[in-house]
Amino acid sequence: MAAGFTLVGWNPFKRAYDALVLAGLGVFLVGHVGAGLLLAPAGQHPAEIQLLIRASGAAAFSLLTIILCLGPLARLNPRVLPLVYNRRHMGVACFLVALVHGALVVLWYHGFSEINAFVSLLVSNPRYDSFGGFPFESLGLAALLILFVMAATSHDFWNAVLGPRLWKAVHMSVYAAYGLIIAHVMLGAVQGEKGLAQAALAGGSALLVAGLHLAAGRREAARDAALAAEAEGWLDAGMAAEIPDGRAVILVPPEGERIAVFREGAKIYAVANACRHQGGPLGEGRILDGCIVCPWHGFQYRPEDGCSPPPYTEKVPTYRTRIIGGRVFVHRLPQPPGTALPPSVIGGEG
Amino acid sequence: MTRGQRRVHALLWPVLALMLAGVIGAGLWERARVAQAASAVEAG
Repeated sequence: MAAGFTLVGWNPFKRAYDALVLAGLGVFLVGHVGAGLLLAPAGQHPAEIQLLIRASGAAAFSLLTIILCLGPLARLNPRVLPLVYNRRHMGVACFLVALVHGALVVLWYHGFSEINAFVSLLVSNPRYDSFGGFPFESLGLAALLILFVMAATSHDFWNAVLGPRLWKAVHMSVYAAYGLIIAHVMLGAVQGEKGLAQAALAGGSALLVAGLHLAAGRREAARDAALAAEAEGWLDAGMAAEIPDGRAVILVPPEGERIAVFREGAKIYAVANACRHQGGPLGEGRILDGCIVCPWHGFQYRPEDGCSPPPYTEKVPTYRTRIIGGRVFVHRLPQPPGTALPPSVIGGEG
Repeated sequence: MTRGQRRVHALLWPVLALMLAGVIGAGLWERARVAQAASAVEAG
């Protein structure tokens, strides 16, 4: 958050998450290399470094596919939300594995060149005007550069320096990187293999990523179309008793951002649904220790004024609430971020 | 996500999906073309 920065704000969940990612990567790499050795026809064993090149490339691609699936999966099923919490560590791991892949390629295929190995990577195959013979290595290199920029700016320090909008725009380039990697695989590994296994894996992964994003987009559009009933500027949030304690219902006003309506015991609060950090859905989070916790990255806000607890400085807009006949109503106009408002109390109507 | 972010995603993803499908299709088409040319050469 904005008060100060540590390299990594470790907690038990992040440690477990990272340990799981590293263990998964280890199993994948060992399994891939082992399968390559065992399944190669007798007398045609590829060099170990070639197996490592394939394994690291496949690992980086698989990791990026998983990373890109998590966002839409979390919008389709909230149970996936905890996996989004530490996704950036997975992104940095993906860059490092891709870097190993690129470094091994440069060493093995271009390290003995008479010219600089990196220049050799770009000019040894000059068929940039050909489709089938296109130097696919350059596509992988371009993707690696994008992943580097993303990994280098992944820390919250850069989110604060660039601002959430620009930071998010920079990190949307991951989709360009993914497209470049798909082209890298389709024009590289797929052209040289006998069977269609790699084509099926790469194509299936790309279609999975695209399909999940399209499905999540349809779901979000349907949610945006379900406008809350409004009377004289007040939006109907339903029966107060039906809001789970410590949780929220999310309202869609005719204009502006979604509104998260929380219940904490007998008290009802309403704040803007979009977290100031990266737009995470606060209404899918919960109240812990008196603060709303964003399900994406754990940013906290006090429900009564939308302010992050000291020493943090983020603020979200708050909304006026009232209870009539047990039903919660929220005024559709947001108050300035950080405006303290008294909660409506169940049983003390008004 | 904000309303603006959702709009960007809604516009972007159909285009990206088509582009990805195009890259995959073109890669497979090129592979089949090269294989066909090679078998024609083999057949004499």
